[in-house]
Amino acid sequence: MIAREDRLPPRLRRSIFAVTMVALAYVILAPLTSIDAAQQAGLPLLTDKVWFRIVTTVLMFVVLASAWNIVGGLTGYASFGNIAFFGLGAYTVGALVANRGWPFGLALLVAPIVPALFALVIGLPLLRLRGHYFAVATLGVGVATGEVVNNVGPLGASTGLFLPIVRSDLLFFYLMLAAAGLAVLTTWVILRTRFGYGLLAIRENEEAAAVIGVNTNFYKVAAFCIAAALSGIAGGIFAQWNSFINQELVFAVSDNVQMILMAVLGGAGTALGPVAGAVVLELIIQTLAGGGSGSVYSQIGLGILLAVCVIFIPRGVIDFFGGRSKLSLRYFRQTLRETSA
Amino acid sequence: MSQFIQQVILGLLLGGVYVAVALGFSLVWGILNIVNLAHGALVIVGAYVTWALFTRWHIDPFLSLPVDALVLFVIGYALQRGVINRLIRAPLLFTFLLTFRLNLVIVSLLLLIFTADFRSVTTTYSGSGLELGNVIIPYIRVGGLAVALVLAGILWAILNRTRIGAAILAVGADRDAAQLVGVDLRHIYALTFAIGAAFAGVAGGIISTFQSITPTAGDPYTLQAFAVVILGGLGRVSATVAGGLAFGLIEVLGQSAPWLGSGYANAIAFVVLVVVLVVRPRGLLGRLA
Repeated sequence: MIAREDRLPPRLRRSIFAVTMVALAYVILAPLTSIDAAQQAGLPLLTDKVWFRIVTTVLMFVVLASAWNIVGGLTGYASFGNIAFFGLGAYTVGALVANRGWPFGLALLVAPIVPALFALVIGLPLLRLRGHYFAVATLGVGVATGEVVNNVGPLGASTGLFLPIVRSDLLFFYLMLAAAGLAVLTTWVILRTRFGYGLLAIRENEEAAAVIGVNTNFYKVAAFCIAAALSGIAGGIFAQWNSFINQELVFAVSDNVQMILMAVLGGAGTALGPVAGAVVLELIIQTLAGGGSGSVYSQIGLGILLAVCVIFIPRGVIDFFGGRSKLSLRYFRQTLRETSA
Repeated sequence: MSQFIQQVILGLLLGGVYVAVALGFSLVWGILNIVNLAHGALVIVGAYVTWALFTRWHIDPFLSLPVDALVLFVIGYALQRGVINRLIRAPLLFTFLLTFRLNLVIVSLLLLIFTADFRSVTTTYSGSGLELGNVIIPYIRVGGLAVALVLAGILWAILNRTRIGAAILAVGADRDAAQLVGVDLRHIYALTFAIGAAFAGVAGGIISTFQSITPTAGDPYTLQAFAVVILGGLGRVSATVAGGLAFGLIEVLGQSAPWLGSGYANAIAFVVLVVVLVVRPRGLLGRLA
């Protein structure tokens, strides 16, 4: 199902659109007030450092969730190994900048290429698997890639890589914003092309798709490579932004699960669902887990919250915000009945 | 040569642990079609039960195994009946996500109760072993392997010799048909998961005898249970036993290869896993899906 966002009454739709645009404009422009020149001119500071980092993290997850969505949401292959692409992108930039002394900008151009090639190589055998088997095998690829990187001396082994620090939150915010824009745009374009319809056909019924002439292997691997390239860009930006990377930071399976949750709770298979999911979920996570003292309780709270979400809104929030269903107790009862024993 | 024999023996003994861990995992996967990512956490709950009984009342870890089984049986039944049953008809991605979250919740609760300190169960016979020339066979690991094989026997007997087992297999074969002939699906789902959890608990008890435990110590075991089930194949107890032993052997021999090391344990596991998935998707002894 492609999202049809046009079921809402036009007036409501216009006001939602207006609110979104204002929020977006604020998020994009507010950071500019932190430039020295703007401060000297006496502009009020519309944002602060902590908020800045949080928004950049949110944008990073917008990229990751959107990239996952291309494989998991559009093509129907639930990949648990996308984090390997993120990690490889991060290590590509890390190795080129820290070991070879490349400028960051140049290294970032290579960041999507390495993961995409990796996706090409592993995609051919892995995408023959389905269901649990695909999920498990990709999970294995994610963990194993991280472990191999963790053992390679030139990549800093278990210590990790230290990149020269670049002190510009503004730069990384806009880079991540651009990457997020690129990811959403890519999904949007895919959804409107023959390629996208091919992917959706594979998700709905792969044999039927093959019969009507979709080159399923090519389509699946291409989707995998696009997702890998996008995740790699996010990883590359993250490496320089954080100026330190190691296996635990950039190959965390929990991050992979997080991007899936974002895409799924937002609405898998749509262009804007993963964005909504990433923004809402990452803000909740940052709010709950931000404080160090209560982090165990917040983990528990978060776990229960997400379990409840997965149980009650399996089609994602876009299902009712997009106007396909009405948000009501009846809706929850119905989704519960559909999936319960 | 004796070095090699030693490695093979250690591999088989380690394989015994994997058999114990994977039995419950493969039961839940095979019957309920759930890849239970919280399995490792359940294993560690069992390990903590053994540890608590050992430090409080000095109960021998092997004697506390039935208690582990009982505690985890109750937890497992409640989890499935109360939570996982709500998603049993959802696409498999959702049970994946749900059990991953359950895993985090259980680990967090363990952190709250037991803190992150390393806990170990050290009995009087922990360090000793049977010496045959240069080859040493640690008693406690032999005990673990024996328990694992007994567990496999029990599971086989439950599935093939009892009415409950027949109902479980029927649900695994065709849920709707099983319901038509009068099987109470919710109860059997919960029971299957509870049995799986009970086996996980016993596996945890075994693990506590040779490894120090922390709340997160179970995560690798979930992944290894995957690999064992893939390697052996789904749908048969004997397949899990073969897969577990083979996997233990591969891991120990792989790590003793000169160009690798213990740092590659997971990588070895997953290379094996991916190769098996691609070359022989039904595993060594598994049934055709």
